Amino acid sequence: MTAVSGEFRREIEAIGEVFAFLGNFADGQEIDEKNAFCINLVVEELFTNMVRHNEGGGDRITLSIERRNDRIHLELLDIDVEPFDPKTAEIPPVDAGIEERRPGGLGIYLVKKMVDDLKYDYEAEDRRMRITVTKTLEN
Amino acid sequence: MFEIKRDANGTISLHGRLDASQVNNARAVFAQVKESCDVDFAELSYISSAGLGLLFGTQKKLVDTGGGLTLINLSPHIREIFQIAGFDNIFEIA
Repeated sequence: MTAVSGEFRREIEAIGEVFAFLGNFADGQEIDEKNAFCINLVVEELFTNMVRHNEGGGDRITLSIERRNDRIHLELLDIDVEPFDPKTAEIPPVDAGIEERRPGGLGIYLVKKMVDDLKYDYEAEDRRMRITVTKTLEN
Repeated sequence: MFEIKRDANGTISLHGRLDASQVNNARAVFAQVKESCDVDFAELSYISSAGLGLLFGTQKKLVDTGGGLTLINLSPHIREIFQIAGFDNIFEIA
């Protein structure tokens, strides 16, 4: 099918609109609750990461989503931003006790654990950052 | 939509979706937690790292004084998120 896209305000508060967009997609594709939960989580973490780390960027973030058979392809596009590769985020010590744990770093870690593939691409000429994700739907 | 309530026994109930845009609403209630209590997830359908971070901060504060949160009625999806995050080592999950 053709990818569907939406543009969203670069604000944490826009996440409700992002979820509404994803909900419509999940309903149309008859994606079950568990997979919809995962897609929501992946997009929220990547979207909020862009909002927090790409300050000064354009006022909109573009989200595209497409289903190809049992795979979901996601793309988040952010323009006029500094490079920031979320894959370089520190890995939290998830096996450690609470004394060794620190807040932060969990969002991108969850994304990496829940998707098949996470790609980061930055075009310096127009300061364009693109994150693409592939996730296989679970039965 | 997200709601948080605290009953007379001190149990905190979470309702709806706890995402990054809602976490400040929950923060005000968790800031008042000074001793061990239950957190009921029965009506919570979604949580992201923003909510996990808030629970972590509260747990850290309580553990330092010998207490802790007990998380109850987690859905299978949310329980899996806690396991991936390694939070099943940090919280008592009933």
